[in-house]
Amino acid sequence: MNNLDDKVMLELQDVSHNYHAKKASFDHGIHHVLDSVSLKLYRGETLGVVGKNGCGKTTILRLMAGILDPTEGTIRRRSNASAALLSIGLGFKPNLSGRSNATLSAMLQGATQKQAESLLEEIKAFSDLGDSFEEPVKTYSSGMRSRLGFTTALMTDVAILLIDEVLAVGDAQFRGKAEAALRDRIAGDQTVVFVSHSAPQVASVCDRAIWLNDGKIADEGSAKSVLSSYRTYVKSNAG
Amino acid sequence: MALKSDASRYFFGYLWWILEPLLYVCVFYVVFNVILDSRKADFLVFLMCGKLPFVWFSKSVSQASNSIVSNAGLIGRIDIPKTLFPMAIIQEGLYKQSVVFLLLFAVLIGYEYMPSLQWLWLIPIMAVNYLIIVACALIGSVLVCFMRDFSMFISLGMIFLMFTSGIFWDVRGLNNAEMTELVLTYNPIAFIIDAYRQVLMYQQIPDAFMLIKIALLFGSVIMLMVYAMRRFSRFLALKALTA
Repeated sequence: MNNLDDKVMLELQDVSHNYHAKKASFDHGIHHVLDSVSLKLYRGETLGVVGKNGCGKTTILRLMAGILDPTEGTIRRRSNASAALLSIGLGFKPNLSGRSNATLSAMLQGATQKQAESLLEEIKAFSDLGDSFEEPVKTYSSGMRSRLGFTTALMTDVAILLIDEVLAVGDAQFRGKAEAALRDRIAGDQTVVFVSHSAPQVASVCDRAIWLNDGKIADEGSAKSVLSSYRTYVKSNAG
Repeated sequence: MALKSDASRYFFGYLWWILEPLLYVCVFYVVFNVILDSRKADFLVFLMCGKLPFVWFSKSVSQASNSIVSNAGLIGRIDIPKTLFPMAIIQEGLYKQSVVFLLLFAVLIGYEYMPSLQWLWLIPIMAVNYLIIVACALIGSVLVCFMRDFSMFISLGMIFLMFTSGIFWDVRGLNNAEMTELVLTYNPIAFIIDAYRQVLMYQQIPDAFMLIKIALLFGSVIMLMVYAMRRFSRFLALKALTA
């Protein structure tokens, strides 16, 4: 753990990930998601991950967050670097109010109950949920859920923030606000991995990007250059 | 914190805590006392002593078995100890059961089975009952994680246990004394239910040695399961997400 370069928060070395799918349609029922992927995540940077659906974007985040172990290869995380994965909607308890859910999420991310409760008003204000904050989450629209999820993760203090397509939902106004808040965090010491299939969003928040295709890194480098090659690929495939 | 969520989830349903087990008892009472006419003295009390602890066991275990897979959404978001999900269900069941036991005591007193010092034996009996629940729930939750089909076997197993554990018949009333011995030795549920009855209805002291044996067995199963579930936490996560 300690032999990581001072600036590296997280390192993936030849990471492959596969699992047994139910139907034997793949390689003898084994579904290959990632195929020897290596990358480094530096302190304070915002890394964008682009790629089409099913290319392993969410899986790479889950590996980074330590939710799953890679089948092969190693993942080294800076010791005491907490990582939180932020994705839409899932993980809420539908019968509980937005307030209780926010408390739960914050606590699950390592905050004490007091810390979580002290964040609640801030979360309520930022998410613009108003009185709905006290209503059960099952009454929320998907946009409202993503607001709550995004705000909760944004307010809690984690070393590595892993964001999975969250900005894709929510109305334009909230999206603008969320992007602005994200940029604020990024400007600080926050390390962020930002997954999206929306190229403009990646371009606007990330400094570096990787493009995943069929479980491999197809391109890596500055956000601009990666995105232009990704766009070319999407266009050539569409045409 | 999981408790808090459970409490509020069931805010409207407090009454169901008592109502559901009582309905089970009603069904059995109608079938065995009214229709089949079992002619056992105080059949209602006899039935409640057996059925209420059994419902505690069966409901906790079958709900807890599905708890890991049904929380796949949360498991996909954070690295969380997987034992938390079945334990939350069990804890919820424990709260409900404490109310149910109070009701059972009220009925017992109503039928003039007065509390005595013997009733203190309920504490170890309930504790062992709890250990059995935790062990079975942890095993069940992992099995269902590997193959969803196991939840079918678990509900089937519950029915099997319900018939073999002497809930509506008396283990000690069997014609064959060897069979009684066999059931009490190899079916811990039957032993526990019989122990409840011995203490509550007949003022008898249960077989303490057997109680300790069951406690040790299920206690070590729990320790093993908790260790394994910690060790293979991420593997379980993968299974919950993909299997």
